[in-house]
Order: sequence, then C-alpha cells, then structure tokens
Amino acid sequence: MSIFVIGYYAALIAASCLAAYYKKHGAFMLLFSLTLVSFIIGIIGGVPALRAVTTFAGALALAAGTSYAFKEFLILISKPALAKELRTAPLTASFGMFVIFTYAIAAIFAPWIAPHGESEVISSAFAPPDENMLLGADQLGRDIFSRIIYGARNSVGLALVATLLAFFMGAFAGLMAAVKGGWFDQLMGRLADVIMSIPSLIFALLMLSIFGTNLGVIVIVVAVIYSPRVFRLTRAVAGNIVVMDYIEAAKLRGEGDWYLIRREILPNSTAPLVAEFGLEFCFVFLLIAGLSFLGLGIQPPTADWGSMVRENATLISFGDITPLIPAAAIALLTVAVNFVVDWMLFRSSGLKEQ
Amino acid sequence: MTKFSDKDVLLEIRDLKIEGYSDETWVPIIKGVDLTLHRGEVMGLIGESGAGKSTIGAAAMGYARDGTRISDGSIEFDGMELTTATESERRALRGSRIAYVAQSAAASFNPAHKIIDQHTEAPVHYRIQKRMEAQEDAMELYERLRLPNPQEIGFRYPHQVSGGQLQRAMTAMAMACRPDLIIFDEPTTALDVTTQIEVLAAIRDIVDQFNTAAIYITHDLAVVAQMADTIKVLLRGEEVEEAPTEQMLDNPQEDYTKSLWAVRSFQRPQKSRPTDGTLPVISVKNVDAAYTGGVKVLDDVSFDVYPGMTVAVVGESGSGKSTTARVITGLLPPSSGEVLFKGEPLPPRYQDRKRDQLRQAQMIYQMADTALNPKVRINEIIGRPAQFYSGLRGQALKQRVDELLDLIELEPAKFYNRYPPELSGGQKQRIGIARALAAEPDFIICDEVTSALDQLVAEGILKLLDRLQKELGLAYMFITHDLATVRSIADEVVVMQNGKVVEQGPKEEMFTPPHHPYTDLLLSSVPEMDPNWLTTLLEERGVDNIGDAADV
Repeated sequence: MSIFVIGYYAALIAASCLAAYYKKHGAFMLLFSLTLVSFIIGIIGGVPALRAVTTFAGALALAAGTSYAFKEFLILISKPALAKELRTAPLTASFGMFVIFTYAIAAIFAPWIAPHGESEVISSAFAPPDENMLLGADQLGRDIFSRIIYGARNSVGLALVATLLAFFMGAFAGLMAAVKGGWFDQLMGRLADVIMSIPSLIFALLMLSIFGTNLGVIVIVVAVIYSPRVFRLTRAVAGNIVVMDYIEAAKLRGEGDWYLIRREILPNSTAPLVAEFGLEFCFVFLLIAGLSFLGLGIQPPTADWGSMVRENATLISFGDITPLIPAAAIALLTVAVNFVVDWMLFRSSGLKEQ
Repeated sequence: MTKFSDKDVLLEIRDLKIEGYSDETWVPIIKGVDLTLHRGEVMGLIGESGAGKSTIGAAAMGYARDGTRISDGSIEFDGMELTTATESERRALRGSRIAYVAQSAAASFNPAHKIIDQHTEAPVHYRIQKRMEAQEDAMELYERLRLPNPQEIGFRYPHQVSGGQLQRAMTAMAMACRPDLIIFDEPTTALDVTTQIEVLAAIRDIVDQFNTAAIYITHDLAVVAQMADTIKVLLRGEEVEEAPTEQMLDNPQEDYTKSLWAVRSFQRPQKSRPTDGTLPVISVKNVDAAYTGGVKVLDDVSFDVYPGMTVAVVGESGSGKSTTARVITGLLPPSSGEVLFKGEPLPPRYQDRKRDQLRQAQMIYQMADTALNPKVRINEIIGRPAQFYSGLRGQALKQRVDELLDLIELEPAKFYNRYPPELSGGQKQRIGIARALAAEPDFIICDEVTSALDQLVAEGILKLLDRLQKELGLAYMFITHDLATVRSIADEVVVMQNGKVVEQGPKEEMFTPPHHPYTDLLLSSVPEMDPNWLTTLLEERGVDNIGDAADV
C-alpha cells in the first residue's frame, strides 16, 4: 500500500471524526459515506481510481474556494445595497458570476490574451499541443487556444446582441399589449402564436438560406424567433400589475401609456424579466452555436465555438478530446448563466428558506 | 378564578417564544406568552395586526408558519407536549382533535371539490366514521348551523354558496371529528355585518352544544365580547392582560386596553347643507350602470355631495357602493343618467375628461398596499400629481411634497426617500391621502379607507380626514360598510341595497327611528360591547329565522 492510499483514508476518517465531534451531521454523513464508498472503489479501481476521486474532490474544493473568494471580493467592492443582495448568493451563483466574469475578460481582451491571431496558420494540420500551442492546432494548423479566446468574443457577443434585441422587441410589445389591451393585445398575441408555431431551428435555417448568412441577418432572425417568449412572459407579468389600484390611480390622473410602462409597470417587473433574460441568453447562445455547427451561422475564418466543434469533429474518432473543448466552453457558460439565473429567480419569487 | 378553573386544563402554553425570519436574521414575534385553556372554555385573543394573534393560534396546533420557528417555551395539549412531538404525531391531532377555521372560507375551500367531500375527508381519513355516516353527520351539522337546505347544500361547490354560508360550512367542517379545541382565526372579519350575525350565532351555538374549547382570534372587541368567556389582550407579541369577559369590559386594568376600549369615541358635529344656493360638488343623477353584458349593478342612483360635507354611502358588499365610485371617476361609463360637477356634466369616460376635471375628483383606496406602487419612492408618489397638474419643478416641487407630508403628519425628512413597503399600514394610508391632496381636489372618494386598518390607527386616519376637511374645505364621499365610522364622520348618509338607494338623509335623521327595514337590519346588526347583545338581538329577531336572514 502506497503512502498516498494510507494518507487518503486517514484524511477522510479524521475529517469524518471531526465533523461528528462538532455535530455537523450533514458533513459527517457525506464524508463517512465517501470513506465507505472509497473502500469499494479502492478494491475495484485501485490507486488510480482513488487518485481520480481526489482530483475530482480537489477541483470541486478549488471551484468552491474560488467562488467564495470571488463573492467576498464582489461584496467588498460593491455599494452597500448591492452588497446586501450579494451576501445572499449561494456558492453556485458566485461560481456562475466568476465564470461569466472570466468569459467577459477573455472576450474583451482577446487580442492581448490570445498568443496567436484568429486565422493565423502557424503549424501543420491537427498538430498536437506543444510549448507554443496550449491545445494544439486545428484542421488548418491554427492555434485552438487562440481561437477559443476569440470565439468568446464572437459567439458570446453575437448571442448577447441577439438576446438584447429579442428582449427589447418582446418586452416592449408585451408591455404595450398589457396596457392597451383590446385589439392590439389580440393582434400581438396571435402574431406571437404564429412565430412560436414554427419549429425554431427550421425557421432559422429557412430565413438564413433566403437572406444569406451575414451577421445582421443572424441577429434579426434569432431575435424574431425568441421575442415571442419574452412577449408572453412580459404580458403575463404586466397583466398582473395593470390591475393594481396604483395603475388605476395613475390612469385616473390622466397619465399616458408611456409613463405607465416606464414608471409604474417596469420597476415592478424587472426581477422576472432579468431572470428570463438569463435563460433566453442560454437558448439563443445554443441556437447560434447550433447554426454555426450546421455551417449557417458565423462564417469562417471567424472563430466561433459552434463551428469549431464541427471543423474538428473528425478528431473524435481518433480518441482526441480537442473538439470537445469548445463544446465544454459552451456548456460551462450555459451552466454558469443558469446558476446566476436560479439565484435571481429564487430572490424574485420570494421563496425563503424554511 | 373563573367558572372553568375547576375543569381540566386542555391546552397549556408556557412562555412561548416564536421567531420570524426576515432580512436574513431571526426576529422575535412572540416574546413569552402564557395561555391556559380549560375544556369548554372560549378564549378571545385580541390585538392589533402584528400583535401575534394568528401566530399563537397556529402555535396552539403545534404549527409554525413558513418563515417562523418556535424557539422556546412549551405547548401542552391534553398532556402531550407539542413542541417535542414528531410531525406525524402532531399531524394526527390536527383535524381530529384540534380544528382550525380560517378567515377567508372562500380561499380555504378547494374550489374543485364539493363541500361535503371536503367535509368528510377528515373523519374518513381518521377512520372515525364511514363515509355515509360522515355525510349524514355533515347534514345534521349543517342543520344545526342553520344552513338552508341542509340535505342538499353540501353537494354544491364552494363558489355556489354565499360567503356567510361558506363560513358556516367551514365551521361545520371543523366540527366533523368533534374536536376538543377549535381555533377561529377572524372568521367573520371578511363578512358584512348582517351576515356576521348568522355566523356568530352559529359558532356560539355549536361550541356550546358540543362543549368544545375554542380560541377566538379577532381585532373586533364587540365580537369577542359576544363569543368569549375570557379575553386576552396582546400587543406586539406580549400579553397585556387577561380577564373574564365581563370583568375585562367593565374594568380594564392596563392603559393600552383602556385605549382600545375608548376607540370610536371620536365624534364630530353634523354639518347641514349650505342654504345659499351653492351647487353641489358632485351630483349623481339617475345613474344606471352595468358591467359588460351583465345585469344592472346600479339602478336609478341619485345623490348630491355639497362642498365641505361628508356623504357616507353604506350597504353590504355587492350593493353597488364601489360601482358608484367607478361611475363618478369615469372608470365605468353609466348606461343612463349623468354625473354633474358643480352643475357641469362630466364626460362619462375618464379618457374623455380634461386634465382639470380629472384633478377635481380624487380617490383614496381601501388597500393601501395595492394603491401605492411598491417600487416608487414616497416623494415621487406624492410629487407626481403636483408635477402633473400644477407643473411644479425642482425646488418648488420638493417644497410642495414637504408641505403635503407635514399635512398628513409624517415627518418629511424621514419619509421623503422611502419606499411604501417600509411603512406601516396606517402610514401607507396617509401617503394615499397625501397623493389625493397633491392634486388639490375639491372632492375625494374614500373607498373603505379604514376597513383594513386597526381600530386605533383607523381613528387617527378619520381624525386626519376631518382636520383636512376643515382646513381645505374638501367634500368626501365615504364608502363604508362600517356604521361606527359613519356615526363618527358623516354628515349625510346614503343607504344602498342591490344597486338601489333605499334611504338617504342627514345622519341624525338616519340614526333615529323609524328606519327603512333594510337600514334597521344594518343598524341592529352592528355588534355592541355588551356581552349579552347577541343573545338579546337573537331573541328579538326570533332565533328560528335567523339563518334565513342572511340569504335575503
């Protein structure tokens, strides 16, 4: 038995005993069941399996530590009101914020961070990683790491613009429909039904093959596809607000629709709308990545995570995980955004711990 | 000490402390309350909102609402300690040995199931009765509670019976397992005075008949005087005093209790209409109104409101009081008839009215919570009408807001930048008043402005309204179902029933007999502090037909 195995069990058992002594029942149950499970893993998988468990636990602890530190950092640098909100954030949410922050840095400072140019051919096709290229080269010999950094800028930036546009169109239509009611409400509602009744990917493919695949068209098509969802949510939220007495009071005062929307309704519906924004962003991001994978999104040589997966897809059959790295970047961002959104939804729904 | 002292103790609460979770910390709600309840005893818990009445009521079942926890003390129900009992043990008590009657029966019944199915659920679940037995028992209980058609009414859905009947059906449901203890949490607060009597009589009878102990939670002293054997007064989670009902009514010890008793002493002299030919501010002339496609809600309603006077519009819910207000403000255009403002006809729809016409008639709402936008600062809530109508800007606007805050007796420096959810109910209502005043109107509609408030706070609001009327010469239309409010503030009274005006005239005339029979019914239904009032009234009216009166 190696020193590692002895140390592994000793650490686990000592931690379990400490947890039990300090009456941390949850932690104790977790640690001790891990100890018991480790016996089995150790017998079946041997030392490598135990090392994997250790690595996994270490990564988890590192993520948790980073999240915690990042949260404390945010609390310290933000204003008191915001800091109070942030204090309620669970670790998952601060992990999400940390990831989003990292992506934002990568996207904004891409030309300075990336060691090579976006479409610069620097080596042979599918060259393995060396001291010059962190993740190796793609099918044309471009540095994958640099392309991932640039991809953050293109993919995320495009998704952000499309989501914002979808949001402005949907939210404005929804608010107007709720305030005006009557035929306008009916018209917008049916229009939204029509758009939603067409499968989104097919609709996008159709529109892109008609209008061509430049960036403007992608943004508008994606925004049109996603705005009905925002419309429905906004109309439902605003519909609950327009029946309140304070709206009646404002109407009787003679206020116009725009004042009602801006000053009375919007401040009361921001929480669900912001949460919805996060969710929509994920969907839009995935749709654009999907379009790029199919070759109809962002066009080469512009770096984009979706198309990078497609371009390097052949490597998968040789047991190389390179094409999964941009896919993992997409997944990580989606998960991170959802963590933050979950927290916001929790705050806005008024659910409290028992 | 009382007639119950020699009986068994059913519920004993010792030094109960309950905490609530807010703003990420635990704050005490109940700060050490003792309570002893004997078998067959009815205890009234009274206090303002936030006094912890309902929390204690729930704790008597061993239950802490979401976001609260029982932090200390003991609750012993018939020898069983509820604070340490397991959840399943406590659950076995609820419904079978302890029952609960909630404030709003309409919100507590499941609208998707028939009343009798919900009634029989508990006895069948606890295997006390077979389903058919339980059904027959339910019908018997309905009969005892004087519900009309006891054989049939249980097979209706909750929305098919009236509010008072539903509240009685809920009391019957609480009785289904013949519990030892029933907790009534403001069972009549949401009901009209005329309906309230039926429910009170029914509850009292059934509690007597089965010798059930009860905790009766209310903020209405007159009601608790009818129901309870002992009264416990609570204030901010602490007990003020406890005594047998009669002793408590005749001789309250503590200052707080005395102030509760003294409420409603506010009276002001009645004013009469000006005789110099001044036109009424608002004159409603032969108005008929209906909601889209429905039956007439208002039928030939006419009355005048003269400058500087208060006209109270009274009636049960559904009598068309609030609809009249909607017609005056222009939210509901009348199908015939018109509304005159100082002799000039107002356009029927508010969208067609000029800004100045809108300014003249302002409204104060019943629920200050929904009447003030929670995300807008006080200075903008009050400042907006001043800015909108008078075009005030910058420093002048700030000055006007300060002036208005002074007028409603709230300190400007303290409230200027706050949001409505940070204020108490009474303060919110004051902000609502300030918003109406900011428009500098001649006429204000007060829609049940005090009914959601505690009595002490409500009295403060009434005094404020009276002072403002004197200072600014405002005319009020005061919509209310509370005749005590009418008595204290009104100059003229309009009694409405089923969309018609049944009687109107100066207050003193209206409160002296002879009355219209409906006015008489309204007046005699207002509970009085005399503990024997209900008994006397029931005898006068004839006990047997009391159950039917509610359905008229």
